[in-house]
Amino acid sequence: MQSPIYTDQKLLSALAAGDRKVTEMIYQQNFTIINGWLIKNGGSSADAADLFQEALMVLFGKAQDSDFTLTCSIGTYLFAISKHLWYKKLQRQSREPIQLDERLGGDEDEQGIASEDDINVHHEREVHFEQLDSALEQIGEPCRSLLKAFYHHDKSMHVIAADFGYTNPENAKTQKYKCLGRLRKLFYSMQAK
Amino acid sequence: MSISNNIWEVAEAYVAGTLTESELGELASRMQSDAVFAKEFNESTELIGSITASGKNKRFKTMVGEIAQEQANKQKNAGKRKLINFSSLPQVWKTAAVAASVAILTSTITIWSLKPAIKRNDSQYTNISREVANTKKMQAGQQAELKQLREIIKENNKPAPPPSDVRYSGTGFALTNDGYFVTSNHVIHNNNKSDFDSVYIQNHDGQYYKAYLVTYDADADIAIMKVEKKNFRFGKGELPYTIATSKAGLGSQIFTLGFPNEDIVYAEGYIHAKNGIEGNDQQYTLQLMAEHGQSGSPVIDQKGAVIGILTAIGSQAEGNNYGSSYAVSSKALIELMHKIPNEPRLNKTNKLSRLSREEQIAKMENYTFSVKVYKK
Repeated sequence: MQSPIYTDQKLLSALAAGDRKVTEMIYQQNFTIINGWLIKNGGSSADAADLFQEALMVLFGKAQDSDFTLTCSIGTYLFAISKHLWYKKLQRQSREPIQLDERLGGDEDEQGIASEDDINVHHEREVHFEQLDSALEQIGEPCRSLLKAFYHHDKSMHVIAADFGYTNPENAKTQKYKCLGRLRKLFYSMQAK
Repeated sequence: MSISNNIWEVAEAYVAGTLTESELGELASRMQSDAVFAKEFNESTELIGSITASGKNKRFKTMVGEIAQEQANKQKNAGKRKLINFSSLPQVWKTAAVAASVAILTSTITIWSLKPAIKRNDSQYTNISREVANTKKMQAGQQAELKQLREIIKENNKPAPPPSDVRYSGTGFALTNDGYFVTSNHVIHNNNKSDFDSVYIQNHDGQYYKAYLVTYDADADIAIMKVEKKNFRFGKGELPYTIATSKAGLGSQIFTLGFPNEDIVYAEGYIHAKNGIEGNDQQYTLQLMAEHGQSGSPVIDQKGAVIGILTAIGSQAEGNNYGSSYAVSSKALIELMHKIPNEPRLNKTNKLSRLSREEQIAKMENYTFSVKVYKK
């Protein structure tokens, strides 16, 4: 089989779909640069791995919106986000807010990467998911496991029906709807507080 | 679907974008008139969106974590190799250069010191060449290792191999690109007993995918199954072939692709009789050499339409039936498909009609595969 030629946009949609090969490729192509930069800037390889993974999560989150297009290459974007995340971390550690503004040169703004905004959106997303998770933890069984199996572990209703002992997928689906109903009540009552 | 149905069903369809114009209209008017419903509906769609995105996010995070781990391990090993290979090399060159400059320097001063200097150079030279040879050897070794590693990665990315020994195997072919396929019912239900543990298909890349039974017709000997994996696709595009809705004529040239063994096999023939055994009008009699394992293979006419599914071969005991096979008419398949709730839509565009046979076969390969049934 021929290996296809990817454009960044194609790579991005594959990344958004959670394609392992493409994600691996993006990782391989960009991690070394960020790792090298970070080591020069007082971090370790472990820090670099953490940062880069978070940067990938930021990109993944952005790419979920099918209208999202990059104004620069994937590599540049990930580098900008990683740098920003690192400065934020340093800032938190040293509690010197002025440093951040000084160190973030114009180079990122020139490329039109709104790192700060993207990172904030990413954090809001994470917080939202955490709230949803905590509601999910509270709805009780079998709902918790059933919804996790379907939404988190991507199992089909057929597999779920078999695993949870429902006579057919239709029954499992009815149960899933009931569980969603419970989750909705709990989640929105938690939100209201 | 009516929007008075289960709110979740409507919300799921809304999120998936499968509601029709009229349903959307109905939904909008209900939301306008019923504020309680509107609030619940908005919350429902938002919740489905959130929990779906959250699941996807989690799976991606796990995957990225795994990739990071793998890459870190690779980096470690690569780093070690680099040290062994290259650290000594510049050192040797440096010594050689020093030796050479010494030689030049000494030659201008005294002649007698020239000889040993050259000698030293020679020995350095052999050193270097050995070093280069070593490096080359190591690079070859490294490459072999890399290749091995790639193989391992490829192997790991394959879907998990099935649990136990194959009991029966047959052939199947795709009905829709998203995972519906058909095979002979007797491949999975031997003697009408459903005692199989699991059914996997193995595609031409050797990858296994688990499948479940959707519906079957024991009399017609057809089973419709679906690949379990979500978002599964047989090939890049829609199916290249169509399923014939009417019976093909006597004498039509036909061919088939199937898996009597691990490799895909091609055979061709013609429609020998319009009906099958004992005048069974759900079947054709074909003049076509087929083997065991080819049950469930598509029987395709010259235009690239599937006219039937290979179901049985004539036994030698029947004398003049030697070399003949039987196929279930695609009409029976279409009738069985009507029984599926949310009946999958069949492809209507044939991309094979103008191609040569070789090209037709190449296009079919993604959509024809081995079906393996495992014991309980």
